[in-house]
Amino acid sequence: MNATLPSRVHAGGGVVIERVANGRILRLVKSGPARQALESGEIDAVLDAATGTAFLLPEARRALSPAGGPIANSLLAALPREDYQSLLGELEPVTLTSRDVLYEPGERISHVYFPNDGQVSLLKVMADRKTLEVGLVGHEGMVGVPLIQGVEVSPVRAVVQGSGSALRMDAVRFREALGRCLPLRYELSRYAYAKLCQARQLAACTRFHHVEARLAFRLLMAHDSVRADEFRLTHESLAEMLGMRRVGITNAATALQRRKLIGYRRGKIRILDRKGLKAAACECYQVVGKLARVPLLISARARAVRPRA
Amino acid sequence: MRPKKSKSRASSRAVTAVVVMRLYIADGAPNSVKAVANLEAICKEYLKDGFELEIVDVLDFPRRALADGVLVTPHLAKLSPSPAAMVVGNLSDRRSLLGALGIHE
Repeated sequence: MNATLPSRVHAGGGVVIERVANGRILRLVKSGPARQALESGEIDAVLDAATGTAFLLPEARRALSPAGGPIANSLLAALPREDYQSLLGELEPVTLTSRDVLYEPGERISHVYFPNDGQVSLLKVMADRKTLEVGLVGHEGMVGVPLIQGVEVSPVRAVVQGSGSALRMDAVRFREALGRCLPLRYELSRYAYAKLCQARQLAACTRFHHVEARLAFRLLMAHDSVRADEFRLTHESLAEMLGMRRVGITNAATALQRRKLIGYRRGKIRILDRKGLKAAACECYQVVGKLARVPLLISARARAVRPRA
Repeated sequence: MRPKKSKSRASSRAVTAVVVMRLYIADGAPNSVKAVANLEAICKEYLKDGFELEIVDVLDFPRRALADGVLVTPHLAKLSPSPAAMVVGNLSDRRSLLGALGIHE
């Protein structure tokens, strides 16, 4: 299948293609018709002999992306269409696999991720390696918020909790995109604010709310993120997120199961009664849900004054 | 393969043997769409029914393309009659396309 062009492609026959930061082909280490066509922008895809894969060049990727269809990630969907189109060449589709760690605390953020589905948990890791979830990112958001504020290092561990897919962008290109795309900047400012409020809410929730209500809240969030009634989430992962021992999670999950709100089998959770689960959850689910929809006056203004090409 | 007479009446342009070609594209991508259109136009004008064209989408069959020595798309390979030839790019350069196909205006 097609993929994003890596920085170096060994196309076979002694041909090496290198890519520069802006996505353009730097050189084809061999003269000939392929090089000529490449330089005049007549090439759509490059074949990589090492991986047996076809790589689409940015223009082609832009054209082939389902720009006419619904955009799965809400942040990207909120952008004016021409801004979204201008970003597409720099967005690379990736698969999110459960338990994959996108960043460790203190690590440089190499990419930002816009999940289409699946969910990424932001965990605060303490010195004794105990963890607590301080944020959750699904299709409504982006992983890599520190970059919006110009910080390159992740303060948290970002770990995939439910498999899915995402579009990711290299950190350098993301900063360039922020600089030139005003609507993106404002959408992300709004999102960063919502994330900050979410973390505050989670802090209070952890201190004041009962584990069963917190678990119900967390499962509803997962349900929203993965957009499926059944998803994989082990008790161990839930214990990591809620900062508890596994046995505490098992007890709370059993209680929810007994009330026929959820089903649980072989690490897979099934939401049986969403309404009932909402009633069992703490107030935080409603509060966090409202945060995701908080409008920023500045966002509308940004679009109004946006220079037209 | 048995040579087939072209139905073209333009005798100066007519090609007597069937031209067998394979076009490697990334289906839906702009240059590939152009290449198909440009090639179709040339075929209609000069070859009429005297050609066989197979279109290979490298997004579906990358390994096959690699096995055939294709590095980039669009890539047109003229397989027969000999000499074999190839053109890369969106085939908008009419003269080099005609040259590769052995068509003399």
